[in-house]
Amino acid sequence: MYFQKKRCIAMLLAGGQGSRLKVLTEKTAKPAVPFGGKYRIIDFPLSNCVNSGIDTVGILTQYQPLELNEYIGNGQPWGLNKTHSCAQVLPPYERHDKKSGWYKGTANAIYQNIDFIDRYNPEYVVILSGDHIYKMDYAAMVAFHEKNAASCTIAVRNVPLAEASRFGILNTNPDGSIYEFEEKPKHPKSTNASMGIYVFNWAVLREALIADEEDPNSSNDFGKNIIPRLLNAGHKMMAYAFDGYWKDVGTIDSLWEANMELLGKNPEFNIRGDERHKICARNSALPSSFIDEDAKIFNAFVAEGCEVYGTVRHSVISVGCTIGEDALVEDSVVMPGVVIEPGAIVRHAILGENSRVCRNAVVGGAYGENEKKKISVTSKGAVVPENTVLSPGEML
Amino acid sequence: MNVMGIIFANDATMGDLTSKRTMASLPFGGRYRQIDFHLSNMAAAGIRHLGIISRHNYQSLMNHIGDAEEWGLELGEGGLEFLTPYAMSTTDRYRGKLENLFSAMDFLEYGSEDEDEYVVMADSAILSNLDLTKIIASHIESGKDITVVTKSGIANGKKLLDLALKLDQDGEIADMAVNYAAPEEYLASMDTFVMSKQWLKKQIKECVARDKYHMDRDLVMGLWQRGLATVNVYQFEGVAMFNESVEEYFRNSLSLLDKKIRHDLFGRNHPVYTKVRDRVPSYYGEDCEIENCLVADGCFLEGEAEDSILFRQVTICEGAEVENCVIMNDAVIGKDAKLEYVILDKNVTVSPGAVLIGTKDRPIIIQRGGRV
Repeated sequence: MYFQKKRCIAMLLAGGQGSRLKVLTEKTAKPAVPFGGKYRIIDFPLSNCVNSGIDTVGILTQYQPLELNEYIGNGQPWGLNKTHSCAQVLPPYERHDKKSGWYKGTANAIYQNIDFIDRYNPEYVVILSGDHIYKMDYAAMVAFHEKNAASCTIAVRNVPLAEASRFGILNTNPDGSIYEFEEKPKHPKSTNASMGIYVFNWAVLREALIADEEDPNSSNDFGKNIIPRLLNAGHKMMAYAFDGYWKDVGTIDSLWEANMELLGKNPEFNIRGDERHKICARNSALPSSFIDEDAKIFNAFVAEGCEVYGTVRHSVISVGCTIGEDALVEDSVVMPGVVIEPGAIVRHAILGENSRVCRNAVVGGAYGENEKKKISVTSKGAVVPENTVLSPGEML
Repeated sequence: MNVMGIIFANDATMGDLTSKRTMASLPFGGRYRQIDFHLSNMAAAGIRHLGIISRHNYQSLMNHIGDAEEWGLELGEGGLEFLTPYAMSTTDRYRGKLENLFSAMDFLEYGSEDEDEYVVMADSAILSNLDLTKIIASHIESGKDITVVTKSGIANGKKLLDLALKLDQDGEIADMAVNYAAPEEYLASMDTFVMSKQWLKKQIKECVARDKYHMDRDLVMGLWQRGLATVNVYQFEGVAMFNESVEEYFRNSLSLLDKKIRHDLFGRNHPVYTKVRDRVPSYYGEDCEIENCLVADGCFLEGEAEDSILFRQVTICEGAEVENCVIMNDAVIGKDAKLEYVILDKNVTVSPGAVLIGTKDRPIIIQRGGRV
């Protein structure tokens, strides 16, 4: 079989457990966690690929892959199911030389799929992670990489100095080339945080992956091992500054915040409009939402297939939810298929898929503007029984 | 058992709403085109070999169907095919469905003799969530030549029914009439039929050879009256929407605000599929008032809407009031505009402060792309 040579393909790391999302990722891989009413986190990097003209995407899965695999399917929602395009799910597998098994780290995951990448004989490989919410034109980054004749280009964003020690920091020369990489430095020298988005010359990366695999002390990680290895070997590495919206939704708080940042007339992250950067998602065949005459909805997103009889304020309501009479939902993220029965109150919460808040139950609490909020969370399919309380910050 | 399907797309009867599209591609229910209901019914019954007969204005229909993937169908021979007059030059006369079918004989003859044993035919203007598997089973069990799917409660003495049937006390057909303002006791044909393919092919040839082209009059009623065909009447109990005039279309659209009707038409176990547009969820502004409305994806709502159907990507600006309206895709309703009993076709812009007030029986229609 012949494969069309590709200038650039993408590899999407989607195998992490996302343990900081706690109950939300008990049964679901992080990239498959619902976001923004009708999306899953992985829709953002996948749609970015398609919008950037990248039509071949390998998706590395490992943790709880069923839902994610099913969601990606043949890649049709993103237009990745055509003759010369694909969204290929790449789970760990066994091979004859025993250099296989579970993905030991991000670099090892790519190492184990060198054959997949080789089929397309690409010039460039874009490495992405499946847990960030942002819109980005990877084509512009690849063009920047090419123009600078770099071996590796890393997307960076400016973070406040006080927070810089939480990130991988790239120290650069005036021309944007990287001379040092520090993982979570105590005394950061700059505020260029790595976004975990890399463009590599495939030939260079391929060699580095093989060498890294042979190093028994390596943890086979891009940030910890591959980047320092290439720097030490004297490769030209560039920092690509990105100043658009970007959010790592790896924690309950940041997932909640990112959802809230979609709201408002001029939201911090605008997913409306802009056809060229449309985010695509697998669609559920649900009818339009019904808004009852007694319903009140203010400053909220409501996706399709919902029936709203109660009050919704400053919240994201996903596809297929029911909000009963006299129920109140405030400052919350309601994931697909949730039922909130009449008289229930939900505030500052993330309700997992298909969970149910029964009659007159109360979830979470109210806060002042600058008060530290504690988000209550229900897991997939959880039931908050009638007349009970799920306290602020509590998980079910 | 193999079943093939035929959907008639045409017979535009809604003036401005269908001047540039077929009845099949008329938007309905916030996010659908009328043909979605038929494609979904057919696909749910495992029918993969499907022809869409369309004479005029089928560009919007072809756009909508695209590669048919959304319905789990495939384009091409043995899959879904567009049977348009330009694609089939066997005859230049299309006065009725029988002539349409006659020129689609190649399609009917596809595959071996016993490939498709039965044909299900449907008409785009009548919408329902039909379990065709049950209807085909009823046809086979009856041993009759034709099964007609019917609905009670449609005949009212005023509405002209394409085909009306009256049953006697034993459930036998006592009368059949075509283009008839039948009294209430008549059943209305939903223009959905099941026949065996061989039988249908033979009757089409016999009819067309005698210059007969009208399906209801010449094939169903004509053959039944002459004792040449036996007819099984399947009475459908669910919701059936006869969208044959603007008035009916408007009334049926707003009736979706009734939970029972909505849940029946969009059955959870039998979803209705449509072309995906990838719009964002609808945004409800700080001061909007949306009451008793059906709202599709991608809307941006800052004003008021009541008792209305809002399609995808509708913008209602601050201070605007929309009541008893059907607002199709991409409409922008300007600040302080006021709309009552209005149908806005796709892409209409209503200027700030404009006032449009129709009546229940005669809603104002603004054509596609219009500016008010």
